[in-house]
Amino acid sequence: MFGYNGRILVVDLSDSSSRWESLDSRVLRDFIGGAGLAAYLLYEFCPAGADPLGPDNPLIFATSPLVGSRLTTSSKFAVAAKSPLTGFIGDSLSSSFLAPELKKTGCDAVVILGRAASPTLLVIDEAGVRFEDAADLAGLGTGDTEAAVKNMLGRGVRVACIGPAGENLVRFASISNDGGRQAGRTGTGAVMGSKNLKAIAVKGGASVPVHAPDALRRIGADLTRRSLGDATEKYRNMGTVANMLVFNRLGSLPTRNFSAATFDGAEGVSGEELRTTHHVRNAHCANCTIGCEQIVVTTDGGKQSRGRMEYESSFALGPLVGVSDANAVIRASHYCDDAGMDTISAGATVAWAMECFEKGILTSEDTGGLDLRFGNADALAAALRLIAERRGIGDLLAGGVRDASRKIGHGSEDWAMHVKGLEMPGYEPRSLKTMALGLAVSTRGACHNRSSAYEADFSAHVDRLAVDERRGKITADGEDFSAVLDSLIWCKFLRKAFDDLYEESAEIYGHVTGWQTSADDLRKAGERINNLRKLFNIREGWTRADDGLPPRALSEALSDAPVKGVRLTRRELDDMIDGYYRARGWTADGLIPDGKLAELGLPLHAFS
Amino acid sequence: METAHRPERPSVRVAVELFGSARLAYGRAAVDVAVPARSRRADVARALAGACPELVGVAIREDGADLAPSYTFNLNGNLFVADEPVSLADGDALLLFSSLSGG
Repeated sequence: MFGYNGRILVVDLSDSSSRWESLDSRVLRDFIGGAGLAAYLLYEFCPAGADPLGPDNPLIFATSPLVGSRLTTSSKFAVAAKSPLTGFIGDSLSSSFLAPELKKTGCDAVVILGRAASPTLLVIDEAGVRFEDAADLAGLGTGDTEAAVKNMLGRGVRVACIGPAGENLVRFASISNDGGRQAGRTGTGAVMGSKNLKAIAVKGGASVPVHAPDALRRIGADLTRRSLGDATEKYRNMGTVANMLVFNRLGSLPTRNFSAATFDGAEGVSGEELRTTHHVRNAHCANCTIGCEQIVVTTDGGKQSRGRMEYESSFALGPLVGVSDANAVIRASHYCDDAGMDTISAGATVAWAMECFEKGILTSEDTGGLDLRFGNADALAAALRLIAERRGIGDLLAGGVRDASRKIGHGSEDWAMHVKGLEMPGYEPRSLKTMALGLAVSTRGACHNRSSAYEADFSAHVDRLAVDERRGKITADGEDFSAVLDSLIWCKFLRKAFDDLYEESAEIYGHVTGWQTSADDLRKAGERINNLRKLFNIREGWTRADDGLPPRALSEALSDAPVKGVRLTRRELDDMIDGYYRARGWTADGLIPDGKLAELGLPLHAFS
Repeated sequence: METAHRPERPSVRVAVELFGSARLAYGRAAVDVAVPARSRRADVARALAGACPELVGVAIREDGADLAPSYTFNLNGNLFVADEPVSLADGDALLLFSSLSGG
């Protein structure tokens, strides 16, 4: 077999056992790898109704056929589990050296079941699988944990780990690897914590061979050339932090818990400010020629904080909480990375609490004396620490905005900005109507990455302030496109370097695997993966009522130029959702007809 | 010899607001340029290249004839400017930023 190992490793932490299972080639062709393979394995291994923080919920790490090929941006992996935030499918991508090392251990994916009796380090290397005591690592941040494991196991080991937030079952805890890269969204770090699994260390042997190395080398060189051209200019020069001022000027920058769409302090936390005052260097993931990562440092003379910064973190810990001091945003972001928390959900949850505080629903007594108002950077820092440690008000906030607002009540559900329990990212849905639909229907909740529906809104192809019939198909097509990217796996920042993603990827996939594959095969795989994700959610109790946006987004008009008076009505959103279901070939209730399942070959039970 | 009379196209002054790499290259957040009242994207790009040569090779093509492929104009925060001509008025703002959205 080329491009794949053709097997998975199944680990049970409850009895410290492991076994190998072979993967049917049809599964690999149908779900490709990465996010697609992870979705398939989750569907197979997760019992219906499983407690997301119980031992039955599998935690899955999946590599892809392109991992190890040395093609630019291909060193990525997917993590999946039933999300403790949403109760539906949870998945997240991360990147760099862990991905090829994991694949070199001889598996295409690791499925982790059960729960260890005490903190555990799972070691997967050429000698096999070992379960080491990790009591000494308990409570350490992700940076110290990774360093300690590498110190213990030696050169060449790659580590994925959780910080205190994951250990404390913060429902938006992340999994960290390779010096602070995060599988950030949907709370897979809490699932890892629920298993008493502090860290995973991998060290592999030989690379998986590809079918046509010479052809792949030629194509890879051309792709590398294109990755250094116009198609990636923004990412190479400024990274995603360049979004801040543009979104602000367009009235699409969620501010103070989505109560506004522009932020008067945006300049202070902008990409331009970071670049001129805080930038140290650009950094790359393994096998990446783009190098979008902005390494920034604080400059205010306080305790120095140095690390990565990207738009979603700077938005969520800046405008969303009303903070306009770049130094404070940098510290907050790096704290989240080290504690192992998703910056988007963390910032959104603090923003919700700040609004509750300003409205008198949470008091100083509730917050332990914290003056939890918008713009108070010290209160933000303190709140993040309380969340990670689940102390005081942090214990409430560690459940995320949906859980916290249900407990607090007093109408606070209306400004709990989430979809399906996942906190909203930095795209204002009222002034980005296609994105509004993408957020509303995404199977993993309020997600900007699984549809990239914003692309249409930031173009001349649609009127971003109006709704129309086309948005359903645009969103469905975007989801399928993203599913293919996330399964092969290419970095999304490479997507514009392809003239035709499907045609070029089909050729590359053929050279890697030796399997004749067409563009239509890949397009169909993208559709299949999204239908399987939906099928998982339906099994977990999804209904049409789960597709939507929070009340604030559907009841309040925007108040700032250039989007003053712009709103999104429930009827408009419902019409777009109807159009999306039609584009998908689903019923009016959003269910998948038998004919569509048969067309896609779902569900597929290779292990039965 | 008598020259043919060619009515001049009316000119307007617009503010081009710069974001990202364009702002860093020029060192300022905005620049005023005179452009025809009915302009294509390329018309504004040429005027901008004349006013801000620092943007050539960054947000404007090396030959100065149009925007670089990964850049776009947005008129007053509302309308993304495609290839078709748009009507401009004195005081309009044209936002210049990367068309590579997302992240």
